[in-house]
Amino acid sequence: MGEFKVHRVRFFNYVPSGIRCVAYNNQSNRLAVSRTDGTVEIYNLSANYFQEKFFPGHESRATEALCWAKGQRLFSAGLNGEIIEYDLQALDIKYSMDAFGGPIWSMAASPSGSQLLVGCEDGSVKLFQINPDKIQFERNFDRQKSRILSLSWHPSGTHIAAGSIDYISVFDIKSGSAVHKMLVDRQYMGVSKRKCIIWGVAFLSDGTVISVDSAGKVQFWDSATGTLVKTHLVANADVQSIAVSDQEDSFVVGTAEGTVFHFQLVSVTSNSSEKQWVRTKPFQHHTHDVRTVAHSPTALISGGTDTHLVIRPLMEKVEVKNYDAALRKITFPHRRLISCSKKRQLLLFQFSHHLDLWRLGSTVATGKTSGKFLVPGKHGDTLPLSKDADHLLQLKTKGPENIICSCVSPCGSWIAYSTASRFFLRRLNYEHDNLSLHRVSKMPACLRSAVQIMFSEDSTKLFVASNQGSLHILRLLEGSFKHLHTFQAQSGTVESMCLLAVSPDGNWLAASGTSAGVHVYSVKRLKLHCTVPAYNFPVTALAIAPKTNNLVIAHSDQQIFEYSIPDKQYTEWSRAIQKQGFHHHWLQRDTPITHIGFHPKRPAHILLHDAYMFCIIDKSLPLPNDKTLLYNPLPPTNESDVIRRRTAHAFKISKKYKPLLFMDLLDEGTLVAVERPLDDIIAQLPPPIKKKKFGT
Amino acid sequence: MVQLRPRASRAPASASAMVDEGQPASEEAEHGLLLGQPSSGAAAEPLEEDGDGDDDLDDEAPEELTFASAQAEARAEERRVRETARRDKTLLKEKRKRREELFIEQKKRKLLPDTVLQKLTTASQTNIKKSPGKLKEDKSQKKNEECEKGNESKKVKEKIQSIGQNKSYLARRLKDQDLRDSRQQAAKAFIQNSLYGPGTNRTTVNKFLSLNNKRLPVKKAAAQFLNNGWGKVQLYFLCYDSFIY
Repeated sequence: MGEFKVHRVRFFNYVPSGIRCVAYNNQSNRLAVSRTDGTVEIYNLSANYFQEKFFPGHESRATEALCWAKGQRLFSAGLNGEIIEYDLQALDIKYSMDAFGGPIWSMAASPSGSQLLVGCEDGSVKLFQINPDKIQFERNFDRQKSRILSLSWHPSGTHIAAGSIDYISVFDIKSGSAVHKMLVDRQYMGVSKRKCIIWGVAFLSDGTVISVDSAGKVQFWDSATGTLVKTHLVANADVQSIAVSDQEDSFVVGTAEGTVFHFQLVSVTSNSSEKQWVRTKPFQHHTHDVRTVAHSPTALISGGTDTHLVIRPLMEKVEVKNYDAALRKITFPHRRLISCSKKRQLLLFQFSHHLDLWRLGSTVATGKTSGKFLVPGKHGDTLPLSKDADHLLQLKTKGPENIICSCVSPCGSWIAYSTASRFFLRRLNYEHDNLSLHRVSKMPACLRSAVQIMFSEDSTKLFVASNQGSLHILRLLEGSFKHLHTFQAQSGTVESMCLLAVSPDGNWLAASGTSAGVHVYSVKRLKLHCTVPAYNFPVTALAIAPKTNNLVIAHSDQQIFEYSIPDKQYTEWSRAIQKQGFHHHWLQRDTPITHIGFHPKRPAHILLHDAYMFCIIDKSLPLPNDKTLLYNPLPPTNESDVIRRRTAHAFKISKKYKPLLFMDLLDEGTLVAVERPLDDIIAQLPPPIKKKKFGT
Repeated sequence: MVQLRPRASRAPASASAMVDEGQPASEEAEHGLLLGQPSSGAAAEPLEEDGDGDDDLDDEAPEELTFASAQAEARAEERRVRETARRDKTLLKEKRKRREELFIEQKKRKLLPDTVLQKLTTASQTNIKKSPGKLKEDKSQKKNEECEKGNESKKVKEKIQSIGQNKSYLARRLKDQDLRDSRQQAAKAFIQNSLYGPGTNRTTVNKFLSLNNKRLPVKKAAAQFLNNGWGKVQLYFLCYDSFIY
């Protein structure tokens, strides 16, 4: 035992969309991120930077601006000219209102949070009043000549600065007219042909307006007189974003070269009270344009075309210098995009507008040699393929909406997926190497906008969690379905996207996502069985073990709980590990566990993985304490007995396959690992700015 | 003006004849002049006659038309004219009629079938409720039901209860939609141009990542050739692995 055939899959061509806007909410410490395909994701920065909710994208909803308003309300505006409000509890769009100004380029909420300002393509700045249920148009300001690309409120709410093309205007809120018009110099690398685009403005309370433009300059203006105070030339390319901290003593700008600069207000000499803005730190964490930055009280957040979300805590602001002060780079998704059918060895890949079904290849060679031609399998050998992996099917969705979730049944005969407006169920028939697809029509409307889909182990039942919080159970018949039952939303607020787990014997269904904890339902009796006590970090993965019916829950702070469903209490092992605590290296991992699996013959084994490691927990072995090595670097064949005894603990971790998007046990001796090397993603990104290096 | 040729030398005739000829000839010529006959044919007549020396025709009085015959002729003429006018009118009428029919037929062909039209007219009177989720239409795009029925490009509004065939309609006024789309296209083009257009200093990802390779002490090849990802050489392989248990 201990030897596996591993299917290393690299043909999942996953390319995330670039990040367009970020908005930080100070009260709840949450970050809203919008991507170029229209997806809006909400990250909980205090829950180990876990992506708890997301709103699926839409082709026409290219967001250009995102902002939070009073009362945790999230608004976005885009090139389709509409202002959209998101409902964070129902995980839906509340409404969208057309601003009638053409495409919207910028949006800013007033410091009080009760008004919304929008800058449009036709040069108009519109003011909206935020009412408890909707927003209402109040009035237009003086129309400008060219499109308004950036907006910023003065902290007192009396003036606004609007950046356009070649000039910045300062408006007075009461009168609605432009008080000053400041012209920006076009000079760019000695040439002044291209128009100077003001990508970002920020208004400070002392009346200074900071502007960043496409000529690579950061300029300070005095809004009282309308004159330029200081210019910093920071880059040879566009400076595309700016964000100021709440205390107004530091701000951050992002450039198209991928560099993020930190400016701070420091005193001129150590004793004097006079202060000036100084460029202090450059950070190079991106390779492509940094289209958006945000400044939280303790960290700088940046995101751009290279799809990484980088959170850089500032050392001087962080109180406790522990692992929390490290750089966080979020690249890979925090949810599972791949589902697997173990019986037929199929993998279903979910993209934003289509699904791919692949069948894994096979080999006749086994590790254990039987003939004289086969070399005995050594650790790391590549086996010859007798049958290559097969691309069986590509299902494209019609319409502009993105696919939210998808699943293939364990027997491989059903595929179900959902978009925001429809639910699709397809039946597959395999006949002698031919695959035929049948559509199951007339799906009930309550299933649309499902956030999680799961089939039962025997593929007779379909479990769907909708975004409203209710759970639906359908019985699958030969070419149709029958609606069995709906569990209504339980009490408690929606904290994260619902995750589902079904027990292999088909009796139990577990659902997470609310503040009340993980609910366990009895499928036979169609009622709630018990609820796992609530934990203050969201659930990242959920699974029910075969035979023992233990529910294994992984949380975003890397804690793992095991709860026995028949006994309605935590298991002994779970209590033991909670008492001892996890190894500190285990708790310092940055990526969440996205999938938990089990070994069919060994009930003591739990298989789980995150983006950079996969681990098999052997519950029969002793738990590691902080002094032992968590990661065992030596290959098993060369190991000496002493080391083996020292490091024989329950967590068998391998970092061989990374970055991992999915890993599971197909059967006793086979693993499948879907990897996505970072270079493959970078190869498909848009062009970056040219960098001139001496000697090349 | 009639040019009178100089009289040709006449054969000496009796003096009376000469006198007679001369007078009527000159009378005729004068007559012709006085009348001012423009046609040279009429003026030339007397000259020719003079030349021929056919005196009888010159002497003759113009033909006498009786009143009756002239009247009859005039009436016949009138009748003819009337008849042609009538014929023309009837021809025109027929032509017009035929055209009208053709138009009606064409129009009928363009229209939706009668049944659908009937349903539409009855449906427009009922209360139309819009589904709340589909409120994507502008206020300016809210079309009233008096759209020209002949225009096929306007689609039916959603949730009209009587038409239960296909419930996935969404009504949009195409004129506004075009304007909206063109503005959105212009905005997208602006962003594309300002970030990736001419004048921006962009390079390919391969070149970008290869810069480091060029500066190493031992120069390596470009990232495109070194990196497995680009070449897509090995996307899938089975390997053999073991873990301690």
